[in-house]
Amino acid sequence: MSDVLLPVAIALPLVAATLPIALGLKYERAGWPVAAVATTALAGLATAIGVEVARDGTLSHALGTYEPPIGIELVADELSVAVLALVAVVSLATLAFARVAGPRGNAFYSGYLLLVGGLTGLVLTGDLFNMFVFLEIVGISTYALIAADRSGASAYASLKYLVVGTVGASLYLLGVGYAFLATGTLNMLDMQVQIVEQASYADPLIRASYALIVAGLGLKIAVFPIHAWQPDAYQRAPDAVTTIVAALVSTASAYALIRVSYTVFTVDFLAANDAITTVMLIVAGASILAGSALAAMQSDLKRMFAYSSVAQFGMIVAAVALANETALLGGIVHLVGHGLLKFGLFLGVGLLALGYGARELDDLASAARSAPYTAGAVALLGLGLVGIPPSIGFLGKWYIGVGAVEASMGGGDPAGIGIAVVIFVSTLFTLSYVARVIERFYFAGVGLSDGHGDGSHGDEHGDGSDHGVAADGGSESPSAQTTDALIGGDEGNDSPLTPVAGAPRSRFVPDRVPPAPLVILILAALTTVALGFGGYALFEWFDPFLTEVFA
Amino acid sequence: MNPILTSVPPYVLLAFAALAVLALPRRSGHAVAALATAFTFAQAVLLGDGGTGAHLATQLFGFDVVFLNVDQFSLLMGVVVGFLATAAVLYAYGTEAPTWVTAFALIYVATTVGTIYAGDWLTLIFFWELMAVTSTLLVWQYGGAAVRAGYRYALFHGIGGTVFLGAVVVHGASMLGSVPAAEIFLFSSTTGIHASATVLAAIGIGVNCGFIFLHTWLPDTYPRPHVAASVFLSVFTTKTAVYVMYRAFPEGGMWLAYLGGFMAVYGAFFALLQYDPRRLLSYHIQAQVGYMLAGLGLATAVGDFAVTGGFAHLFNNVLYKSLLFMAVGVVIYRTGVEDIRDMGGLWRVMPVTFLVYLVGAASITAVPGFNGFISKGMVIDSAHKIHNFELLFGEGLLWWLLILGGVGTFMSFIKLGYYMFFHGSATLSPKDATAFQTAGMVLAGGACVFFGTPLTYTYLVDLMPFTAEVAPELHPYSASHLTESAWLLGAGFVGFFALKRPLGWLAHHMRDIDAVTYPAAFYLARGSVWGVTELWAAVDRWVMHAIATVEWIGMHPRETLGRAGADVEIRTGIGRSVLFLTLAAGVALFVFVLG
Repeated sequence: MSDVLLPVAIALPLVAATLPIALGLKYERAGWPVAAVATTALAGLATAIGVEVARDGTLSHALGTYEPPIGIELVADELSVAVLALVAVVSLATLAFARVAGPRGNAFYSGYLLLVGGLTGLVLTGDLFNMFVFLEIVGISTYALIAADRSGASAYASLKYLVVGTVGASLYLLGVGYAFLATGTLNMLDMQVQIVEQASYADPLIRASYALIVAGLGLKIAVFPIHAWQPDAYQRAPDAVTTIVAALVSTASAYALIRVSYTVFTVDFLAANDAITTVMLIVAGASILAGSALAAMQSDLKRMFAYSSVAQFGMIVAAVALANETALLGGIVHLVGHGLLKFGLFLGVGLLALGYGARELDDLASAARSAPYTAGAVALLGLGLVGIPPSIGFLGKWYIGVGAVEASMGGGDPAGIGIAVVIFVSTLFTLSYVARVIERFYFAGVGLSDGHGDGSHGDEHGDGSDHGVAADGGSESPSAQTTDALIGGDEGNDSPLTPVAGAPRSRFVPDRVPPAPLVILILAALTTVALGFGGYALFEWFDPFLTEVFA
Repeated sequence: MNPILTSVPPYVLLAFAALAVLALPRRSGHAVAALATAFTFAQAVLLGDGGTGAHLATQLFGFDVVFLNVDQFSLLMGVVVGFLATAAVLYAYGTEAPTWVTAFALIYVATTVGTIYAGDWLTLIFFWELMAVTSTLLVWQYGGAAVRAGYRYALFHGIGGTVFLGAVVVHGASMLGSVPAAEIFLFSSTTGIHASATVLAAIGIGVNCGFIFLHTWLPDTYPRPHVAASVFLSVFTTKTAVYVMYRAFPEGGMWLAYLGGFMAVYGAFFALLQYDPRRLLSYHIQAQVGYMLAGLGLATAVGDFAVTGGFAHLFNNVLYKSLLFMAVGVVIYRTGVEDIRDMGGLWRVMPVTFLVYLVGAASITAVPGFNGFISKGMVIDSAHKIHNFELLFGEGLLWWLLILGGVGTFMSFIKLGYYMFFHGSATLSPKDATAFQTAGMVLAGGACVFFGTPLTYTYLVDLMPFTAEVAPELHPYSASHLTESAWLLGAGFVGFFALKRPLGWLAHHMRDIDAVTYPAAFYLARGSVWGVTELWAAVDRWVMHAIATVEWIGMHPRETLGRAGADVEIRTGIGRSVLFLTLAAGVALFVFVLG
């Protein structure tokens, strides 16, 4: 009976999505409470599903009265539970930030719940066409959310995503159609069998189907060179929307890629088609390099981390294409870990924007002085993104790198070593942009205000930096400026971080940011570190799934 | 008895004794120290010829090593080092040496003994480097001017030790293939060091021997530390180096013999110019080491007699050189004066010290009846047989060099004794040596006399290697030797009093080679530091500039393109995005289906 949890988990947010609009007729602010209740309930359901899977292994449910393979099947295994948990936690946690940062209004929360429902369905479905439906639900709700603050730039970003996202989803649908043509089934497990029985791994129809599915999902994942929608979307969307979209949407698409590649087409298909894996590795490598390099060039924080996602998902695609156990484990760990890291990073950036109006790297001089906890958490998450142990970011990258080297051992493809090198280079790039952020946080703006308290910050801001230097920098200032010039800081805007008018004040911390999201940010940062110690536990958890697909 | 004795490495005992000196009260600590050094002496004596062999052999890092290699040569070193170290500990106790001095000195003796008993090059180089460290500590302990001199000392020995280490590595690498890989460093695998490591070994060991131009650390360092420390330092480093020189070059070589000859003259000449008593004695170390090397160098040309002469001189030198440092040390300890021109007339107030000085001086200048006469005679006898470059009276250059060195030695010890104990009226009236100083000096001085008299000198030969072959050839008290000695003595007296004034003038104007080498090394080092710094700064500027350029291009990609003449939109709009997507799908289809 516990398999009924699966349809309930999908239906709950979808049904709840109608409530804000319906209740909105009577109550102006019904959206947030409804969303909070629904996502809390979803978190509970996700926990229950997780417990069931941990106890009994894979959980499946046939929808309606039609038995699979004709009917639609919902499946939860170790992989889907991990991503489902991420979806539940992030969607619940983002609400705390959305409450203070907006966008407000009941329609937003309807869209938000629709997105959560779509993601849940995407993760739990065991049917290829059903997956397309949820992919579209996710896509459409994302288009709406990105434009939710009604600015011109976000409308354009949303439109761009709408157009290319629709083409991408269509490609996926085309691919599914080809596969259906070849096998006569849409159920994932059934298709796995039918591909061998009714077609073959060398069948052009099957290959074309995989090509179209990979292209379509590649767009949703945003790998180079079809990533162009993603930086615009992340940068222009409202901060709360970026937080959930960056953490979950591409992650769910990458989950879909892993699911389709390993459950439907299987590792034997990849092994039988060298050209396919080679092209995927090349694209992944290009994505890793280009994403990291583009991220290092950015001065807008959200755009920087958006490009960083292009690189990180390149690694996950590479892990899929390497098709060995270690690399896939790394890919899955990185999938979840990266979701958490990006959630935290965009939340931190959003908080700094909310409390201090800082969106550019240059605005962040001495952020660690005015907002030590926020800056510290962002720095911690950034170091995790670089892959400095102990952090989940390190574990994922490490397993992918080891898997890449393993793939090249024993006369294998040299592409594996190539990927390992690319990951290393990308780590250097990542270090360079994370180091720029940390340098701004902790070292820039030295000597501009040496601890006269909050009051003097405002004065200096008004007078301009030169006066500030003369007034209290004293003889230190020339050397401070020289140092700054030497380490490549942009001259000019070194005025310290100033809170916006009406920024919240807390009794416990000097950070002028809302307390509840700050607590969540710190928890997220600590979780990424804590998970970093759980390497073996993660391996244990994913082992049944890996054993099954590599059987 | 022997198995027990050969299972105890004496240097371990000495190291523990060094700790005991620090831990125990001064008196009992020094007693333990003296016992440990006496054990080293007793062990070597008791082992004797019956105890030879490679003891405590084991494997380290895959190489065979021998921690207690007992043969004729290491035994005689063990005897004299153990004996003298005991005397020196007594002397140190009598000289109010701080416990730290004795402790450092003991650990220094321990490393020396380790070097002596090493049976392979790895163990040897290990203790050799430790010796440099421990002796530097012993110098530094005194503070003041000793610190800077200690730095120069450490630099010299650090470089020398590194060169010698290089020699050992080259030796090992060259030995690969000819013997099993584990045995490449064993002494027993070869005679001496491999030919390919000759130059490195000669320079590395040569620093410690005080080769000309590599000797400046000697007179620079030894006058500066505590007088008791000087006694230890003066005998162990250089004499161990001579011993190791023999290990490396058991067949000698004329280069070594002539180098020794020139060292004898050079050292004696510069000693003549000194007024600091310990500095004067330090130059004599170089001169005396010259005699030893001359003996060892003639190993092939003359034979075992020359080697025995060299080792006998080494043995005796340890005794009388430390005796001289003790005597001079007593004077400095009692007066606090370190310039012999400020001393004078001390023989009345310090008769014991004077007597001891006489014994030491007579030994070093090879007066008949004292041990130096026997061993120096053996070396000079060997040089008699060399006629590569004949000079006056049909004698070769080497002989004349050694004779000239001998005259110089006479002159400088007449000078030292004259200035310290006679010259003018006594302006100082210090007390004589303390009881324990006297005890130490009597031990060393007694040995000097014991091994020199016509009746007892054969005991010296017994201790030496090749006893059976050498003893019949050895006639030190023949008429010709005595005449030779008398001539030397006479020439020395005449020379000193005739040349007193010119020498005084020369002492003001003649600088040793360090007047050139130290500034040269200093400015060379400063120049290279400047060069490296500036080069690095240039590289740094260039790299930072390059990074700034790359960063600017990265931050302003469109402007960069514009400057290059291509003013295009590089952002991907909606249309271009769809185009890319279509192309990507097309490429994927193409490759996947046809691949």
